[in-house]
Amino acid sequence: MENFKAKFVEEATEHINDLESALLLLEKNSTDKALIERVFRAMHSLKGGGAMFGFEKISEFTHHLETVYDLVRNEEMEISENMLNLTLAAVDHLKLLLNEDISESEETEQQHYKLIEDITKLISEKESKSDNNENLPESAIEKTGNQPIKTYFIHFEPSEEIFNNGTNPLYLLDELNSLGESVAIPHLNKIPELNKLNPQKCYTYWEVFLATSEDINTITDVFIFVEEECTLEIQHLSDHNLLKNDAFVAKTREIRKSGKDIGITELQNFIKTISTNTRQLQKKQTNSKTTSKAKENAISSIRVSSDKLDHLMNLVSELVTTQARLSLFAEEEGNPELVMIAENVQKLSRQLRDNAFSIVLIPIENMLTRFQRLVRDLSSELKKEVTFITEGAETELDKTIIENLADPLMHILRNSLDHGIEKASEREKHGKPRQGKIVLKAFYSGASVHIKISDDGAGIDTDRLREKAIHKGLISADIQLSKKELLDLIFIPGFSTTEKITDVSGRGVGMDVVRRKISDIRGEVEVDSTIGAGTTITIKLPLTLSIIDGLLVRITDTHYVIPLSAVDKIFAVEHNKLVNTFNNLVILEEEQVPFYYLREEFGLPENTAETEQVVVVRYEEKRIGLTVDEVVGEYQAVLKPLGKYYKEQEIISGATILGDGTIALVLDTNKAIKQFSKQNIITEEITND
Amino acid sequence: MTKNEENKINSYLSFKLGEETFAANVGKVLNILEMVKITKVPKAPAYMKGVINLRGTVLPLVDTRVKFGMSETEYTANTCILVLDIDMDNDTVQVGALVDSVQEVLELNDKEILPPPSIGSKYKSEFIEGMARSNDQFIMILNMDMIFSTDELAMLRDTTSEQEEQLAEESEEAEK
Repeated sequence: MENFKAKFVEEATEHINDLESALLLLEKNSTDKALIERVFRAMHSLKGGGAMFGFEKISEFTHHLETVYDLVRNEEMEISENMLNLTLAAVDHLKLLLNEDISESEETEQQHYKLIEDITKLISEKESKSDNNENLPESAIEKTGNQPIKTYFIHFEPSEEIFNNGTNPLYLLDELNSLGESVAIPHLNKIPELNKLNPQKCYTYWEVFLATSEDINTITDVFIFVEEECTLEIQHLSDHNLLKNDAFVAKTREIRKSGKDIGITELQNFIKTISTNTRQLQKKQTNSKTTSKAKENAISSIRVSSDKLDHLMNLVSELVTTQARLSLFAEEEGNPELVMIAENVQKLSRQLRDNAFSIVLIPIENMLTRFQRLVRDLSSELKKEVTFITEGAETELDKTIIENLADPLMHILRNSLDHGIEKASEREKHGKPRQGKIVLKAFYSGASVHIKISDDGAGIDTDRLREKAIHKGLISADIQLSKKELLDLIFIPGFSTTEKITDVSGRGVGMDVVRRKISDIRGEVEVDSTIGAGTTITIKLPLTLSIIDGLLVRITDTHYVIPLSAVDKIFAVEHNKLVNTFNNLVILEEEQVPFYYLREEFGLPENTAETEQVVVVRYEEKRIGLTVDEVVGEYQAVLKPLGKYYKEQEIISGATILGDGTIALVLDTNKAIKQFSKQNIITEEITND
Repeated sequence: MTKNEENKINSYLSFKLGEETFAANVGKVLNILEMVKITKVPKAPAYMKGVINLRGTVLPLVDTRVKFGMSETEYTANTCILVLDIDMDNDTVQVGALVDSVQEVLELNDKEILPPPSIGSKYKSEFIEGMARSNDQFIMILNMDMIFSTDELAMLRDTTSEQEEQLAEESEEAEK
């Protein structure tokens, strides 16, 4: 059962997300029938599942919500802003209810009843406008306006195997009863003798008379989960509440006593005699339309637990490592057949690797709903008018990256809304449209993914940044900084530019946390801003975290891997050209290139070889050389973390195991160069043309 | 030895650093390895010796002698690596600890373990779980979690100790 519960929670989360995104879309297009249908469907699945797995609160709660949207669906009510706000609040509440620990707390309980109250108020508001039907029986709590009460005949015969799904048919009858007034007649004539009876099978079937104001679709919805496991017939008997008719009630008692199946023709004749208003019976109806559509969607993908995926990725990584070993061994052995096999294995494992990677890539779309919601809620809270536009939502990233990206992105968006976009009146003064605009754009760029968040707000005042940094003692007053360097100040811990601390952002734990979190997933953040025109924040991310293409190099007896994406060119340079320079510049292809002598930076003895290799890497806009003893070649590195003990060593982003079992360290060239440049103050301007 | 409620028996692995004998609860020791090739990590503190390949995973290696304020380990045939399970920030991490030699597994009764001396020790008391006597020598039972989860270098220096000056010098050197 616990298993089913977990499954339900997982599915319910999906339904809730779907519900949320549908609601947000509905806000823009409140008459879209398909959307209303989607909202309704999500609610209904939640309700049904909730009842089945013991989340009574969810089921009860969604039931109320459903009533509202049923009215909308039947065009008896129009979508109002109030209604959407309430529903979104309800969606948040549903998320809480899913967590059993929280759902028990008093706070949640209070919220629960408050929301239910609000919802019923919403319904009754609508109701007070419409005429009440006099004949409504007391048991029908959700009076749904002026719809007349009709009587239906339902023949429900579950298949013998229905218990295997954990379905209790009695719950379904209860649900029917909640729609209105009902009389259920169980038929026991199929039950075999005791010695032949299998307790795991269902032999009983029911015939139900239901008087309700709901339409036939709602009744079919009750059986939505068991559709395939039962014979279901729903027939419209009368436009009146027959259960109020004494003669009819007497007849049902008679039928119950006799235990015989109700002959529908006989019944019809009977109704004709008791009712003056009988109409031709409607043909059997099914509402398979919506459900079959949902099924089509499900088949194109399967659900796999992320643990399994992680395990698969680990295995693939191990395979790539082992394959490197095999290739090395085959080469040393010199057996042509073995070499051929090794090459085949290499090809296959490469394909397998690419394939496995594409599995764990998920589109960033998955987290965008959350942001849409955030922008919507915040802009109304801050009383600003903002449109949020997303582009490239189909761009895919490693799921671990996406998981770690949500918080920083949320923070950036908050900043844009709070500090970036101005109030509508202010915007008009500056000749901008009243409505602010935030654009989130994701796209591929080489081996990385860029995410750009730009707003057309006030922009960042670099002069004020400078003043503030001086005031806080972060920079000295006489230092000259470029615009980029000034903007970079916002990433320094404890730096926050708004004077007023708001609830939304600006607690001084802002952009530095963003930068740290992004760099945890090997990404980079850059900021660009023009006063009056807006701010753009660019996040550059690697496609995946576990394998990189690198250049294997050697310094003394240690191997290093330099990410190939950073490498520009490799040169062989004479030793004395490198050691006897005082400004650390070397001329390569008639260009002056600054370089770092890695042995010196790492505190190792000077190399005595006559020629050394200079690997030129790109760093920001410049080209910078790094000297190494030897360039071994290209290498696919399976990244392994160095662990907590080396968390201070930023210049090494990880390690990888080489074919012969030794460890190579993966060099983070950006961080390394940044660190070196802080140590050796370069006074001369770097010219680069 | 009999096992009962009052006299709980625990096993400890004793090892040597220089002339001194220490012991760690065997529950903390996953493995004892012979010396393997160490890959040095540049710009790391002196007590972080580097990383080694432990069956496909990257294991950080600590020079226990440097952590304890002694000179760097010189590799001999007896030099060993203890693979330890360390509780660190609500997480379990594995770390290798270089020791000069591994002695034996001692079974010690709770009664045989004496509280750590409060004065006169050159090591901070919170890192020592207790003292025990075996074969006429004192063995210091260490709290491995405490020792290997802090990044302090001169942590085992007691400020009241007479050797303070000398040790301070040593640690300064090590920090370079």
